Amino acid sequence: MSTAQTTPATDAPAPAPFAMIAGDPSAMVCEGDVCYIPGTEG
Amino acid sequence: MPRRPAAPSRAVVGIREPEHPFAYIVSESIKIDIWSDIACPWCYIGKRNLEGGIAALGESGPDVEIEYHSFELAPDTPVDFEGSEVDFLARHKGLPEERVQQMLQHVTGVAANAGLTYDFDALQHTNTLKAHELLHFAKEQGLQLELSERLFRAYFTEGRHVGRVDELVELAAEVGLDADAARAALESGRFAAAVQSDIAQAGAYGINGVPFFVIDGKYGISGAQPAEVFAQAIAQVAEEQAA
Repeated sequence: MSTAQTTPATDAPAPAPFAMIAGDPSAMVCEGDVCYIPGTEG
Repeated sequence: MPRRPAAPSRAVVGIREPEHPFAYIVSESIKIDIWSDIACPWCYIGKRNLEGGIAALGESGPDVEIEYHSFELAPDTPVDFEGSEVDFLARHKGLPEERVQQMLQHVTGVAANAGLTYDFDALQHTNTLKAHELLHFAKEQGLQLELSERLFRAYFTEGRHVGRVDELVELAAEVGLDADAARAALESGRFAAAVQSDIAQAGAYGINGVPFFVIDGKYGISGAQPAEVFAQAIAQVAEEQAA
């Protein structure tokens, strides 16, 4: 999810109806063709 | 060591009207919604870790119902890609092949620790749209979990081609789905809209990466988290249900 502040609030997706559990910050996710640790360069 | 998942929930009766994306179960079972792609190596690892977390709760743990939702990591991937996984990633990411090899070796090692055998040399990179359609067909038939496991293993371990209808029909039959019905579902595109609906729902929730887990509609968990994280989340939900 982008953290850019240029998108008008009206275009933002509705907030997810769940609270995030942080868990292990090194847990890998895949996005597009790339898998990475969130918050890192990948 | 592979861990057996908890038995799939029997609680298909009593589902409230599915106007909400997480079809809440009226019974005490805990619903786990998973956004995932067959072509996602960390999704298979995350699946194993979730199963490990469920198993860690023991026989007295809560019943869970797992539902897979579609997420296409690379929808522009051709069904028939000429080249290896290394070729594909190097071309798309622009990384040196050596770096890609290191990445794949890393994930292969983590997979092995989760009890999974990944063979990226045999892997046939492909478009997973039809595989997702088949997963929706399997959900309709009550065999989605069985098929998801079969598709992951076919893709990452066995080097099967999960983008072609003929191969998907074979895999469907292996888990007990009717081959003719599976073929008809794939050739008609009957579940194409369901796939896109899942993807749109993920987008609406800001889910950009997979695997992504939602526990009972209350808690979101991103990534291939350790089994302990899943166990704690499920136990917390069970406690909240009991309160």
